[in-house]
Amino acid sequence: MYGVKTEQVNLQDRVEREEVEVFLQNFNLSLDQDVDYTIVIRDEALNQPAIVATCSKARNVLKCFAVIEELQGEGIAATLISTLLDKLFSQGIYHSFIFTKPANAPIFASLNFKLIHSNADVALLENGLDDIYKALERMKANYNIGDEEKASLVMNCNPFTLGHRYLIEEASKTNHEVLVFIVEEDRSVFPFKARYELVLKGVSDLKNVKVVPGGEYLISTATFPAYFLKEEGQWMKAYVELDSSIFGKYFCKRFNITKRYVGDEPYCQLMEAYNQALKTVLPSYGVELHQIRRKAIGNIAISASRVRTLIKEGDFNGLKNLLPEITLEFLNTNLGREIVEKIQTTHAPH
Amino acid sequence: MRITKIAKAGTLESNDILIMVMPNESGNVELELESIVRQQFGEVIEQVILHKVKEMGIEGITIKAQDKGALDYTIGARVETAIKRAI
Repeated sequence: MYGVKTEQVNLQDRVEREEVEVFLQNFNLSLDQDVDYTIVIRDEALNQPAIVATCSKARNVLKCFAVIEELQGEGIAATLISTLLDKLFSQGIYHSFIFTKPANAPIFASLNFKLIHSNADVALLENGLDDIYKALERMKANYNIGDEEKASLVMNCNPFTLGHRYLIEEASKTNHEVLVFIVEEDRSVFPFKARYELVLKGVSDLKNVKVVPGGEYLISTATFPAYFLKEEGQWMKAYVELDSSIFGKYFCKRFNITKRYVGDEPYCQLMEAYNQALKTVLPSYGVELHQIRRKAIGNIAISASRVRTLIKEGDFNGLKNLLPEITLEFLNTNLGREIVEKIQTTHAPH
Repeated sequence: MRITKIAKAGTLESNDILIMVMPNESGNVELELESIVRQQFGEVIEQVILHKVKEMGIEGITIKAQDKGALDYTIGARVETAIKRAI
């Protein structure tokens, strides 16, 4: 098809939004809540031009892509993607991901997207001025990561609790070197910078532990959207498999990680599924998974979600058993008090 | 002359080329080319791009080019536009 024009959808307008949603339903897709920009192509030959193709993005992740069957293979995808790349560039975003069905991966590969990983249900590809290899090289250089064997943990620490401290300590005791990756995506109530600094200070006495920002490839909106949306539907299995595989295939290989530590998950179904996926996926990359029983006070295991519940209830005495000094101090700073207030006045799982 | 920011020109459509340019510290001209006709015309495409960069007197630039079978003058025009946007 020659000379097709893309058209921006006003996502605030309910009618326009619904039209895209109805179109996507034909492809068994939905318009995700976190989408911030959507374009469509219409068949101008019709009286009431109907949508024939669409694509959206949520920050730097392209998604909700569909083209009607009659027009597949006509270069419509190239038009859609080029338009979205223009938008990304105008927003100063030079590196993007696409989240799609594995069957669509070749279409995007032909548009210079590089496959990071695919499984039976989803494929993740990336494009632009950065890629996973460059990102890991930078991490290695910036945080002075050597080549010796390592154990690792990936944590959100929202906020840093005695439970996190205990897990890191356990890994630190039995391993030569430990890498702790902190989830960098800023979608949690405690901002990344605060979470990172609390861990950094909270484990500074453990000399063989390095705390490293997790970057865009570990539990991020690109690799694990469900973590932030708290979705437990059909895609959950695919997402956790994807994230675990990226960790094994790229991180463990590049950083010589041979063990990963996780706490057991008595509360959260999603995280339990994630642990299960790690258990099946990591050994295929030569990495052992060590599941450690959580530290408990009385009968109740320490968890960051429990901490947030206590904060919501205003039970600050109860917190003293769960949090290290450093986090308690933080809650008393200006920023800390702001966060406490936010937790008490809103209802959010994270 | 140096470029000061990241910019791009072109599209991923057939017969076009997408050029992304960014400043680099090394002071060299670094080129990364992906092309569907790399095997047949890879060297020529690289020459056209590097020639244009030299003609404009640009140093310290990293270029990422994703080619979909563009003709030489298209390539030249896209490179020139990307660089002008990046100055």
